[in-house]
Amino acid sequence: MNVERHTTRGGHGERAAADRPTRLALLGRADRPTGLALLGRADRPTRLVLLGRAVGAEWVKLWSVRSTWWCLAGAAALLVLGAVTVGAGEATDLARAGAGGARVTASGPVVSAAALVPFALAAMATLVITSEYASRGIWATLQAVPVRGRVLAAKALVVAPVVAVAGVLSGAAATGAVSAVLSADVFGARVALPPARTALDLLRMGLFFALVSVMTVGVGAAVRSAAGTLSVVFMLLMGAPMILLMTGGSAAVEASLRMPLFAGLAFMESADTITGGPMPYPAGEGLAWLVGWTAAALAVGHAVLRRRDA
Amino acid sequence: MISLRGLCKRYGDRTAVEDLSLEVRPGAVTGFLGPNGAGKSTTMRLVLGLDRPTAGTALIGGVPYHRLRNPLRTVGAMLDARALHPGRSGYAHLTALARSNGIARGRVAEVLERVGMAEGARRRAGALSLGMSQRLGIAAALLGDPEVLMFDEPVNGLDPEGVRWVRHLMRSLAGEGRTVFVSSHLMSEMQLTADHLVVIGRGRLIMDAPLAEVIAGSALTAVAVRTPHADELSARLVAAGVTVERLGENELVATGVTIERVGDLAYEAGIRLHELRTREASLEQAYQELTAGSVEYATGEAKA
Repeated sequence: MNVERHTTRGGHGERAAADRPTRLALLGRADRPTGLALLGRADRPTRLVLLGRAVGAEWVKLWSVRSTWWCLAGAAALLVLGAVTVGAGEATDLARAGAGGARVTASGPVVSAAALVPFALAAMATLVITSEYASRGIWATLQAVPVRGRVLAAKALVVAPVVAVAGVLSGAAATGAVSAVLSADVFGARVALPPARTALDLLRMGLFFALVSVMTVGVGAAVRSAAGTLSVVFMLLMGAPMILLMTGGSAAVEASLRMPLFAGLAFMESADTITGGPMPYPAGEGLAWLVGWTAAALAVGHAVLRRRDA
Repeated sequence: MISLRGLCKRYGDRTAVEDLSLEVRPGAVTGFLGPNGAGKSTTMRLVLGLDRPTAGTALIGGVPYHRLRNPLRTVGAMLDARALHPGRSGYAHLTALARSNGIARGRVAEVLERVGMAEGARRRAGALSLGMSQRLGIAAALLGDPEVLMFDEPVNGLDPEGVRWVRHLMRSLAGEGRTVFVSSHLMSEMQLTADHLVVIGRGRLIMDAPLAEVIAGSALTAVAVRTPHADELSARLVAAGVTVERLGENELVATGVTIERVGDLAYEAGIRLHELRTREASLEQAYQELTAGSVEYATGEAKA
């Protein structure tokens, strides 16, 4: 078909170019696009274009239901309230310890409070996939995009940046709230807002939230019901590590500290002491564990999506 | 064109579809009939790749569904009008579908206009009546201007005017050369809409034939005779192996015989006839006869 088009429309030069593409023919021949011809032809879109369209559809779906707004607003409120509470506690402790005038880094309490927020965001990520099974809207989704991996990737690619941006913005609001509250005389503390540290804290928190949300999408694809998905995510974040910690065995404790929530705290270098001290491994390793858990959840979700009837 | 070859689907030890092979051709409305639980919806789900067949293949224009790059531009389907997020507007639902298949945005308003839903599409889908949902589902099927259309019970919940509209839509889609595959339990509806019938029972193919043939082939298609010599003709017919039912003093109904043969037998015996005509079974009767042995949940006696 392509050859036909060239012989009817094109002259000699064009035909030669079509048969033997030169280095300048970066867009490649229509039937065999080069790396740059990512857009493909209109009737034979490349995989990248197909993924982009699927992402566009998921974007429209995400913002056309109210639950998205509720979950994001809930997460922001939780983060602000949690951060202010933790910050006030920290300032009070410092004052009581006679360290009046010590500085509290405003983003510190925010990072500590971050352990609460994944649940609200997980609820949003859960609904992105489980609401489709509940309403059977998944039939329309899979009719439009029959490649299961593409559907899952599109959902993850929409959820991740939305949650990351929402996390950074909520974190900035919470940091502002902490510094405003602690500036009040009652605490006798002074607030520090080192820009580099604050930015790093907020960015890492956004990434942590994004990874937990994508992990939730993977779990949702495997479990399909909202209640089941939230239970599994809760177990992964809180239940399982708590049980492991309670057993007290050193291997169990080590394992629990590598589960997603604690890995996230390690990655954010949270000063939180739920586990009796900072994580015994560096931030980079925390990120690696977090990415590992997310990838594993996506792999399981993908396997179930492919094998099980919709 | 939809081609099924040896299609099988089992859920655990329950067989939903068993060795189904058929072709649904373009340019015609193919009615897909069967009692409840016969496997109609399952078959459609297999065609759309929503369920994986246990064996066999379902192809659309020679390609399995998941290999279609812009599936909505090739196949439009409405399985269940209520299968969409109740909190999302119909407009947003269609916009998302259009995006996913690279369909121009303007097409959304176009199909909503065509199904008469320009207004209702802004409301939450959960607030729509069943009839409105049905129209929205049909709009989604038409969105990609596809060559193949599949509808599962499209007239469910529609008022008489809506039913007429769907009937007209099916006919015009087939008239445009598209493949139209419609399931229904309303036999009378199919009699008015379909050109071709596929009848299944308990997941198995019972009949795949033009509508006229299904009706003509029914044992219930009979020859009615009015004659002053009913006794004599009855004896002649019975002797020739024909089942005869006596309706009145002068009337007979013969089944399992052609009208020509009845006429010939009467002529040979020198019997005068006052009336000789075929009495066509309705599709309803033909269908009941075809599926009598394959009703999944038969009542009491029939079950034995």
